[in-house]
Amino acid sequence: MKTITLATAALATLVAFTAQAHGPTRRKVSESIEINAPADKVWAVVGNWKDADWLENVTKTETQGDDPAKSKRTLTLKNGNTINETGGKYKPDDKLFMFYIDKVDVKDLPANDYSGTITVEPEGDAKSKVEWKSAFYRGYMNNDPPADLNDEASEKGVSAWVKASLQNLKNKVEKGS
Amino acid sequence: MSRLGAGFAALLLTLAPAQAGPAREAIVTVQLANAVEVVDLASNTVLRRIAVDGAPAGIALAPDRKRAYVTRPEGHGLAVLDLDAGTVLTEIPLPGGPLGVAADPRGGHVYVADWYGSRIFVLTEKDGVLAPDGEITVGQSPSGIAVAPDGGRLYVANREADTVSVVDAAARREIAVIPVGHHPFGITLDAQSGRAYTANVTGDDVSVIDIAAAKEIGRVPTGRRPYVVALLNGRGFVTNQYADSVTAFDLATLKPLAEIDVGDHPEGIAADPATGRLYVADWGDNRLSVIDAASLKAVAQIATGNGPRAFGDFLR
Repeated sequence: MKTITLATAALATLVAFTAQAHGPTRRKVSESIEINAPADKVWAVVGNWKDADWLENVTKTETQGDDPAKSKRTLTLKNGNTINETGGKYKPDDKLFMFYIDKVDVKDLPANDYSGTITVEPEGDAKSKVEWKSAFYRGYMNNDPPADLNDEASEKGVSAWVKASLQNLKNKVEKGS
Repeated sequence: MSRLGAGFAALLLTLAPAQAGPAREAIVTVQLANAVEVVDLASNTVLRRIAVDGAPAGIALAPDRKRAYVTRPEGHGLAVLDLDAGTVLTEIPLPGGPLGVAADPRGGHVYVADWYGSRIFVLTEKDGVLAPDGEITVGQSPSGIAVAPDGGRLYVANREADTVSVVDAAARREIAVIPVGHHPFGITLDAQSGRAYTANVTGDDVSVIDIAAAKEIGRVPTGRRPYVVALLNGRGFVTNQYADSVTAFDLATLKPLAEIDVGDHPEGIAADPATGRLYVADWGDNRLSVIDAASLKAVAQIATGNGPRAFGDFLR
């Protein structure tokens, strides 16, 4: 029992130690969706940074401060874990919101040092295009990543979360009044 | 006046070894494309692409500017490129995560930092062949490396240790450790002024180091996630990865002068003293931004392959 505890402690130390320097190759993923609603209506949801319920897997949004260009935000997930974010850029004129993830469990999102930029562009009067660009390092920080946290798996995980969130956004805006 | 002139000439020599006239080419590691691109700076176009696998990131040039040393952190090694022929001459395997790289300005040695470790790999050229030749212990996660003009000292930014190691290159040992800001990544030496500058990634500032005193003497606030500093005409220029900008600051007052908009996630930056221009690798937008140092504005863009990083000395 004691041996197991020590081994666990040693492992935890090892993880804490190696989990500092991220991988050497930042990855990028870009997803977009067309929404049958004017850009202003879509931005009303995307730009409302105090309510991120359209993000996949998010059940609660808590914010500190009132400047979305630098305020902190905590997203609670279905499993009770949280994602801690900081705003980076908030430009209503360009309908652009950029944020960074300060802390996330790689089991919830297989990425480190994540930054995301969401933009809403009008496509005529009744349609808009939402683009979400992600930049991040893979879930595993060190050399020789396991299959579920390597570059490819991390890209897949981020892409799936973004795609599902964009679909939620489309559903919400198109079904909303 | 003549003293000033001599000093200026020496400064030019320090900043641009073996460089007469304007830079002709930018040698850009395009990491996500697994290639190195040779960009013609007269026509602002990619002249040729050299395939280099292993996610090429860091770059250094030989004193004659004919060879490039490119790190391959995912291929675990260093590629040596013949830039005129556009070929890979050799690939030298290295353990760990080779990322930062610098060449001895006198030739003969190349130094590579192990991002996952606490060591610098020494590579020595014998009869024209570069080969691994031992290691030097430094702080955790060494990234940027700068070499003194006489090759005697190395200055290494240790990202996880929040320090700079001063290394005696001949004795191959660390002789001083200088505490700096949070997570220093790039390090840039101004030998003439006896200073070095680190870009502190999570501190959102630049540490200014007095080389002779071996201590930090100032901080310059930057945008978010600064990456590396370039020097030109009495000014520092630091890329801000998360702010999509370059902060220009005065080297005498250490005060910010301007924030220059560039592309998404700017990383490597290099100055061309002959033209007063700076070249920035915009990782997210797959291009170089060209900055005019006089007007402090981006004046042109040059399309590149996917994920340009160009971490190091990349103009010739």
